[in-house]
Amino acid sequence: MKKKVIVCCGGAVATSTIAANKVVEICKKNNIDVEICQCRISEIGSNLSGASLIVPTSRVKRDYGVPLITGMPFISGIGADKTEAAILKVLKG
Amino acid sequence: MLTAISNGITYIINMGASVMLPIVIAIISICLGIKVGKAIRSGLMIGVGFVGLSLIVNMMNDNLGPAAQAMSERFGLSLKVVDIGWPGASPMTWASSIATVAIPVAVGVNLIMLFLKLTKTVNIDIWNIWHMTFTGAIAYTVTGNFWIGILGVVIHAAISYKLGDLWAPLMEDYFELDGLTVPHGTSAYMAPIACVFDALIDKIPGLNKIDISADTLQEKIGVFGEPVVIGGILGTVVGFLAGYGPSEALPLGVKMAAVMVLMPKIVKCIMDGLMPLSERAKELLTKKYGDTAKFYIGLDPAILLGDSQVVTAGLIFIPLTLAIAMIVPGNQILPFGDLATISFFIAIAVAVHKGNLFRTLFSGSAIMFMTIWIANQSIPWLTALSKATGTTDGTSLVAALDQGGCPITYIFTEIFSRDNIPGMFVIAGIYVFCMFFAIRCSKKRAAEVEARQNAEAEENA
Repeated sequence: MKKKVIVCCGGAVATSTIAANKVVEICKKNNIDVEICQCRISEIGSNLSGASLIVPTSRVKRDYGVPLITGMPFISGIGADKTEAAILKVLKG
Repeated sequence: MLTAISNGITYIINMGASVMLPIVIAIISICLGIKVGKAIRSGLMIGVGFVGLSLIVNMMNDNLGPAAQAMSERFGLSLKVVDIGWPGASPMTWASSIATVAIPVAVGVNLIMLFLKLTKTVNIDIWNIWHMTFTGAIAYTVTGNFWIGILGVVIHAAISYKLGDLWAPLMEDYFELDGLTVPHGTSAYMAPIACVFDALIDKIPGLNKIDISADTLQEKIGVFGEPVVIGGILGTVVGFLAGYGPSEALPLGVKMAAVMVLMPKIVKCIMDGLMPLSERAKELLTKKYGDTAKFYIGLDPAILLGDSQVVTAGLIFIPLTLAIAMIVPGNQILPFGDLATISFFIAIAVAVHKGNLFRTLFSGSAIMFMTIWIANQSIPWLTALSKATGTTDGTSLVAALDQGGCPITYIFTEIFSRDNIPGMFVIAGIYVFCMFFAIRCSKKRAAEVEARQNAEAEENA
């Protein structure tokens, strides 16, 4: 089954593109069929239906009822392995 | 032989940015060890971004422009130049002839400053080098002197990295982002203004006790905070105010909603094309300077925009910026392209006020006032840049709050163009004054962070 992942940042241009590429790469490596929805943080609410995971590139504290893992490590390069493991856990589980 | 090469280069340059930069990026990517097919794809994506942007900016000017003008005439306003925002300004900057040189120059300035221990900020945010490039591109367009353009990039870059150092304690104190900072052309540059207001409000009895924070506004506003709805409403309202009937006002609303939705999708193509390059640069820089105990990693302000006070302030400032645009003396700009991302201007200001929205309202208003005023001065410059890069044909004026409203871009270019010297001195004076408060604020917050860490260490001992 295709998993929908929302990847978002402030303007849906710079950092979310980097994070989205990383998520796709991780899923490809692990044979997970994934659909990326790239948007602005203010648009998360409208894209929620069917989403398995939200990856914002900043710290979002609001609860959307969907697992949320911050993708900041993909941008800074610090702690990316841990984030990768956390994302896999959600998408495989 | 040499003339043949130089003729070839001129031939390619004359075909315009949508051809030249893709070729340059593809060649650089191949040199960095990226596969030929992928490199060509990267180059083409950048070209796609340029072509798409030209379509959308022209559509916006053709539709919103006349409506804004008609509205202004009916109500005695002067808001006839449409703000294309950062989604419009950044591709123009990447398309300028200075852009390919600007990336190595900006990274080089960073490396030299790190080597000389003049900064602790390691900027790995290649995308936002466009802000530094913008100063250079504008100065180059205005003066026609390539080296003045490069000097503009150097100065903007150097100040950015210093501001990165300055805001690092606030990143740790308010956003809990240890070892990270945001040396960004808008957020970092505008925040010193907030430091003055913070110090001022601290001194006023009564006002200094007010502390408002709102987490729930975002949920209450819901879809009204989304770009598509903002574009739709703004387009329709401007249409009606212009005296259009529903058959003209509603299509304008839908078109402007389309601009808001499509613009980032188009600009994303350029980011996609720059990805192999920026990932490689990031890899090299973090390998050498990745130690966050010694260095601050410089990132995109996107990492700040999840904070609920920043989100709330960004929403409040959508109508507020429009209101401010009405009262700035002589303002010609109708804020539009930047409206959905006003947070970029005030994100660090929120941290200066420790999330106190009451104070952010004052300092944010001052920031937007100054931005709009400066952006008015840069209208002819930006219009010239958009014409030089082939984005528009130069017949309709364009403006951009982000980065056309940047004090450093303005001061630097004005030094060479000298068409409004009193204006330059006023802005320079205000900015230097604000910087003193910024340095004080940074030191104070660094001391607070340290005191808290010491207290925690004692508790644990």
